[in-house]
Amino acid sequence: MSQDAAHHAPTSTGIDHKKLIMWLFLASDCMFFGTLISTHLLYRKLYPTGFTDAEGHQQFVQKLFNIELTSFSTFILLMSSFLMALAVSAMHKGQLKSFRRNVVGVIFFGLIFLGCQVYEFTHFYHQGLTIQNSVLGSTFYVLTGTHGTHVAIGILWLVMLYFYSFTGKLGGHVGALDVEVAGLYWHFVDIVWIIIFTAVYLVEYLGPSGIWGNGLPVLAK
Amino acid sequence: MSHDAHHAPVASKLELAPERSDLGLYRPDRTRGLLDWLTTVDHKKIGVLYGAFAMLYFLIGGLEALAIRTQLARPDQTFVTARMYNQLFTMHGTTMIFLGVMPLSAAFFNFLVPLQIGARDVAFPRLNAFSLWAFVFGAFVLNASWLFEFGHLAGWFDGFAWHQALTYTDFAPANGWFSYAPLSGTFGQANAALQAPRFTGVGTDFWIIGIQILGVASLAASFNFICTIINMRAKGMTMMRLPVFTWMTLVTSFLIILAFPAITVALIELMFDRQFGANFFNPSAGGQPVLWQHLFWIFGHPEVYILVLPAMGIVSEILPTFSGKALFGYPIIVFSGAVIGFLGFAVWSHHMFTTGLGPVPTAAFALLTMAIAVPTGVKIFNWLGTIWGGRIRFTPPMVLALGFIWMFMCGGFSGVMHSAAPADSQQQDSYFVIAHFHYVLLGGVLLGLMAGLYFWFPKIFGRMPNATVAYVASGLVILGFNLAFGPMHYLGLAGQPRRTHTYHAGNGWEDWNFVATVGAFILGIGVFMAFANLVYTAFKGPKCSSDPWDGRTLEWSLPSPVPEYNFAQSPVVSARDAFTEHKHGTKRIAYEADGGEAGVHMPSQSWMPMLAAGGFLFIGFGMPMMAMGIPHAGWIVVSGVAVLFAGIWFWALEGPGGYMLKTPAVSPTPAGTPAASTSAH
Ligand code: HEM
Ligand SMILES: [Cu+2]
Repeated sequence: MSQDAAHHAPTSTGIDHKKLIMWLFLASDCMFFGTLISTHLLYRKLYPTGFTDAEGHQQFVQKLFNIELTSFSTFILLMSSFLMALAVSAMHKGQLKSFRRNVVGVIFFGLIFLGCQVYEFTHFYHQGLTIQNSVLGSTFYVLTGTHGTHVAIGILWLVMLYFYSFTGKLGGHVGALDVEVAGLYWHFVDIVWIIIFTAVYLVEYLGPSGIWGNGLPVLAK
Repeated sequence: MSHDAHHAPVASKLELAPERSDLGLYRPDRTRGLLDWLTTVDHKKIGVLYGAFAMLYFLIGGLEALAIRTQLARPDQTFVTARMYNQLFTMHGTTMIFLGVMPLSAAFFNFLVPLQIGARDVAFPRLNAFSLWAFVFGAFVLNASWLFEFGHLAGWFDGFAWHQALTYTDFAPANGWFSYAPLSGTFGQANAALQAPRFTGVGTDFWIIGIQILGVASLAASFNFICTIINMRAKGMTMMRLPVFTWMTLVTSFLIILAFPAITVALIELMFDRQFGANFFNPSAGGQPVLWQHLFWIFGHPEVYILVLPAMGIVSEILPTFSGKALFGYPIIVFSGAVIGFLGFAVWSHHMFTTGLGPVPTAAFALLTMAIAVPTGVKIFNWLGTIWGGRIRFTPPMVLALGFIWMFMCGGFSGVMHSAAPADSQQQDSYFVIAHFHYVLLGGVLLGLMAGLYFWFPKIFGRMPNATVAYVASGLVILGFNLAFGPMHYLGLAGQPRRTHTYHAGNGWEDWNFVATVGAFILGIGVFMAFANLVYTAFKGPKCSSDPWDGRTLEWSLPSPVPEYNFAQSPVVSARDAFTEHKHGTKRIAYEADGGEAGVHMPSQSWMPMLAAGGFLFIGFGMPMMAMGIPHAGWIVVSGVAVLFAGIWFWALEGPGGYMLKTPAVSPTPAGTPAASTSAH
């Protein structure tokens, strides 16, 4: 948001400051999510059974997960990335109207994703998974919640860009760059979700007994 | 954007016509005095502020250290209670690392990097100011825990229900600087208020949020510096012509952006345990405290290189200057710096040998740790090669830099000793480890930073520190330091445990502990003298020429103090050690045709970085107050988040701004004339 001093001088590498700093931030964020995901996976390996439900029974995660719903929200987030790419390219061509249309789509899909997450959290909570009652609850909610926070910040950012586009000040090279940088962030958050979806949800269903060796039949419901 | 409708170029920002920003507010460009310092986006002023705060915290951390040493001077003393002792060593370590060494390094990054690469500012000036204020507020939050502790000791809180409900009342952090779980965490089941029973008082919550805020400050600064170094080099300033200090800043910044996320996550997890009843490290619910150790040291070991690399960079600038020779093996020094940075991520478990990692990991981490001593040793040989056969001039910075090599090497030796896992199981948690890391951190890093202060102070303020006082102070520091920490090698091997508030007579530890305390006081006096000399110089010292040391890098080609636009015309360099080549060699520095009457573009000042960072102040107080059980404290946190977002929002809306500043048409250093004399003292 602030390419203060140097937009007059070309940069040494030819890469814009804003784009470079976003890449650096994303590199850092990789380590951030890497640490969170490792925490979750380490504990999954250690405690193959998931949590104790409200009736005091040991429960497996597969019983909890609604893989259809999560697949749907993953698909939605992927599509939002597609729209984001369209928005960026529209901005590069200076097509403000098309930019707005696409960005509204991104925001809308992002909100659907967040809605699914809210539904999922409440559903899991009622099934008896809380942040306090198990290590699984702690790692799951904090990991996916942190990702959700990233999505929410992305939405806030895009909403601001959307309204800013009506002031007539979003345009030209600087405007396209601003949108592109927001796009980088959005795609990254999306990719992280693909990894979370795989590592946290999908692998729980791998193999007849699951990779955690918990002896559970596939898709036990 | 407003800056496209530029004002006419002005000779001083005080002459600017008032102009509203997109927000409808006036930018604080035409300020002077205090307001100017509070809203500055000038990397040099930000550097000075970093340095001033760092020196303040060095003194505070030093007082804490002296209290510790006073308590340990004789056996069975009761100068402080055990509880107070825990808070003292925790705050001492935390202060020295996060509020002393890191900000002082940041002071050098800020002041020097743009000058050394021939730029007029950093890539994101307002972000730079944000880093500064986030650091200032984070440091304040951390130390505010002392205010609560004193309030508690004075009985101010006795009448309050929340105070009576507290189990533990250490208000200042008391877990050690690495806050190992489960001590820092929780046990048992969370109650309805989401609070699980804890082992320690709210000091830990101050520590968690304080370090988190400081982490944000470091991350933001590092993104900025990497961008600056990669993207804003003057023409001809290729990567392999960068001054070594700038190189080390680059490596350090990469270490920060890749290592800090681990501690950020660890802190979030610990915070969830303590404040929301999560179980990350709660052993009674299956949490694994050893995970904290892993996460902490994945950050912690790179952190020790974050601390030392800038000092190595400084020394690599000082030694060639006073040996009258180019740095021996420049590419190798740069390369070993990068290798150290890389390997630094692969040795963290050497801090955890005694947790029982198993034979294979233990052997692997021991080997890698031994391997990391190689690039470190390579650097030492390069420094020796640099002074070898040189015409050595003894000056205060040179003496301190030589002290650095000597002391740092001793620390390296003991480091290699505990890279051998079986030996380490004897040394772990004993005074031997204390000796090791003080040799690298104090004998190494602090001496290096002090050398840097004495070296660049004439550039920063245009005034020369008194050399006699500096020599005496350096002597006291080196003498006191060795008296204080040398004996700790012996004490550690003789079994004295660290972090223990007292010891009984009869273990054979009395004499050396007494010596160590005497040494600590000599050291304290030395550091105080060295700093006092500098503070005096900043205001009253004798004026000096712009190139008093016959410097080698671009910053010495500028007037002292450096004008706000840095370079009247952008330099074009064609050699490493550009200024030396310019003065004594054949390859002159050329200058671009910018500046002059047309002016150079200066970024506008702003209140927004401080406003945004001010949100951290609320969050930083709110979280521990929530943990204390103070009613409605959560709202302080919420308002903090609101202030943070508002600050960022206004920041975005006000836009970069900027104005054009005229510069003298010719570069101040006449090309071709060897500037100043080689040595005036
Ligand atoms: C030759 C290079 C080095 C080697 C081989 C080395 C090795 C080690 C090892 C194995 C430990 C763990 C000791 C234990 O807890 O039992 C340790 C601790 C430590 N090292 Fe180093 N080290 C080296 C350089 C450095 C440097 C350059 C710094 C900082 C500037 C540093 C700072 C520390 C600190 C702060 C600790 C103690 C952490 C604590 O337990 O509180 N070391 N070192
Ligand atoms: Cu280490």
